[in-house]
Amino acid sequence: MKNKTALIFGFNKYALEIAHHVKDNAYAVKLFSNLDKDMDEDEYEIENFDLSDDWNSLEENIDVEKSIAFCVLGDDAQNVFLTISLRAFFKDLTIIAIASNKENASKLSLAGANKVIPIVETTADIITNILELPISNKVLHSILFEENDLKIAQIKICENSNIKDEEILDIDWSRYKGIIVLSLMHEDMSSEFIYSSKVRHHILQDGDTLVVVGYENDIVEFKKLIGSES
Amino acid sequence: MIKRLIVNASYALQTSKQYQANKRFFYNLLENDRYRYKKYIDILMITLIFISVAVLIREVKHPVNDYLLFFSTYIISIIFFIEYVLRLWVSSSVSDIIVKRAEHDSFLSRRISLSKAFVTIFKVKIRYILSVRAIIDLLAILPFFHELRLLRIFILFRVFKLFRYAKSFQTLAGVLATKKFEFITLAMFASIVIFVSSVLIYVMEANNNDSPINTLFDAVYWSIVTISTVGYGDVTPITSEGRFVAMLVITAGIAVLAFTTSLVVSAFTEKLDEIREVKTIEDVSKLKDVYLVCGYESVAKEVTRKLLKNKHNIIILDADNNKVIEAKRAGLMALNYNPGSVDSYTKLNINISKQVKAVLCLRENDVENVYTALTVRSIDKDIYVLSLLMSDSNRKKLEFAGINNLVYPQELVGLMTKELVGMPVAFEVIHQLRSENNNVSIDEIAITQRIVENFTTVGELGNKNYRVIVLGIYKNNHDRFLFNPINSTLLEVGDFIIAIGYKVFVKEFELHIHSKVRYEK
Repeated sequence: MKNKTALIFGFNKYALEIAHHVKDNAYAVKLFSNLDKDMDEDEYEIENFDLSDDWNSLEENIDVEKSIAFCVLGDDAQNVFLTISLRAFFKDLTIIAIASNKENASKLSLAGANKVIPIVETTADIITNILELPISNKVLHSILFEENDLKIAQIKICENSNIKDEEILDIDWSRYKGIIVLSLMHEDMSSEFIYSSKVRHHILQDGDTLVVVGYENDIVEFKKLIGSES
Repeated sequence: MIKRLIVNASYALQTSKQYQANKRFFYNLLENDRYRYKKYIDILMITLIFISVAVLIREVKHPVNDYLLFFSTYIISIIFFIEYVLRLWVSSSVSDIIVKRAEHDSFLSRRISLSKAFVTIFKVKIRYILSVRAIIDLLAILPFFHELRLLRIFILFRVFKLFRYAKSFQTLAGVLATKKFEFITLAMFASIVIFVSSVLIYVMEANNNDSPINTLFDAVYWSIVTISTVGYGDVTPITSEGRFVAMLVITAGIAVLAFTTSLVVSAFTEKLDEIREVKTIEDVSKLKDVYLVCGYESVAKEVTRKLLKNKHNIIILDADNNKVIEAKRAGLMALNYNPGSVDSYTKLNINISKQVKAVLCLRENDVENVYTALTVRSIDKDIYVLSLLMSDSNRKKLEFAGINNLVYPQELVGLMTKELVGMPVAFEVIHQLRSENNNVSIDEIAITQRIVENFTTVGELGNKNYRVIVLGIYKNNHDRFLFNPINSTLLEVGDFIIAIGYKVFVKEFELHIHSKVRYEK
């Protein structure tokens, strides 16, 4: 049976951290390395790969559409090459790559990565946030990493939702106690802030998704009240 | 008896906190360039100098108001006299010399010899009195005896006092002093040329009735005017021999001028880095809420760029001069000091607890970061220290070094991928709020007394009119975050509003709640 798998290319500290965290999301983890020395590693099962490989054998075992590839090779040029070769072979595979800086991040995006994490910029963003906005940083961190009951959720407006066909501006959100509606998400996953001029006059339709923050119970209550699904 | 009295009085002064505090206050006011209020005294003195010079100039051809004349002659002189006495007082400590002598003699079981102490005091004080600065100070007081017409010209000595108050003059003098030997050699050479040429021209020209050079003074005047390449032309040699001497002096003059110019330029070039460093350290002492960044590597570059953009004060310390140059090019205040050395902070003359907001150990090396953190901790126990962690196995060591916050990039990437995989939308939304390149941002607004006076509850803030979401209120007193607070939640001084919205609107909203009379019930 084909598995939903996290394919991690490159064996380093980033790979191990990613492996550790994605396990929680019910992904089978496969580690790959193009370095012979990594093959001797006893603790982890590592498969060898070559940048010139084609990826036929991969397709046999994994569900490409549901799987995610992480390109975390130490060398930026190799990482770009790996990304481009994966994308050339698998159109629908989600590829997440790490880049040492912004310049490489744009190259990885061009190579077909769905999401690129520029390490230096991301680390710097976090440090500046800790320094400049310590409270909100803590709050966002706790929401994102679910350190307390406060959660961020996506709520889809369905056919029989009672706020369907209403203009966003007209909806009195205070009726729904305890939740804050942050943004409206389009089908292409891009989101628009709830107070943006585009969204204010948007009429909610079947298929629209609202991004809300609130305590778990309140979110469940909200879903019930508007008659939606997540 | 008298001896005992003097020794006792000296001990009393040495141990009197009030006396020492007063002395330190006047020392700071007059001599300590880093003392905040010294500049006001300097400005006052400079103003007084210009007033007296202005009166002197006016007096030449016009009558001057009696009060102004009185002020310039007496009041300013008295102020300068008080200043002179205070400077003499703070220049050295008489009681300290007596106490030291008394202790020295008693230690050796001798009779206390006050005469030796007085000799030392005399030497120390006379050394100060005979210093160029003190002499100028004294001459500046002399116009007090303005009845002696000649003494009035001493008002101009007050101008020399400007050297004392204007830092740049001191820098100039300091730079030129480094080339003292060269300048003395040059002066000797010029003096010899002037002397020889003056005598020669006098011998050649003085007996010629058509020549304007009749006295030795004329000859010296001509030599100096010629060697300086000024050449007024009012006094010129007319004999062939005299003109030959003139040719030699002109040639020597060009050499002297070129040598002087090159000396001044090389003195400045050699000292330029030092002058800049001194200037940077001076600037550092005026800064507040500084982020002290130790190490200028890739993450540090990005962090400082962001902090600089938001107009924070940043000081970079790095032991590698190339990185310091790079930081300076990026418009940052950077010094080539080793952040792991206590000496660096002493040289920097920074008060960490008062001036520094946070110390950021951003070297990409755990060993160096631990070393820097421990150095900072040895100076100040409470300062907030944030550090990069490059290897998880070192986490405990960095925590043990007293670092308040560790940022571990590998873990960050791990957590981000987890969210990216599990909750892509939440990740995107929150990432956008944190990112600097997005119009919608999150901000913290501190609740001040002024805000509380106008807005008592959350409901009164009117954030919806500004298209701003109040995500919550952070209650500082209880260290609690109230998410989505109800309208009747009371606002207290010290609370923080966490607001989300378009940057422009959040700014507008902030202005609105800070403005006084916007409150309508």
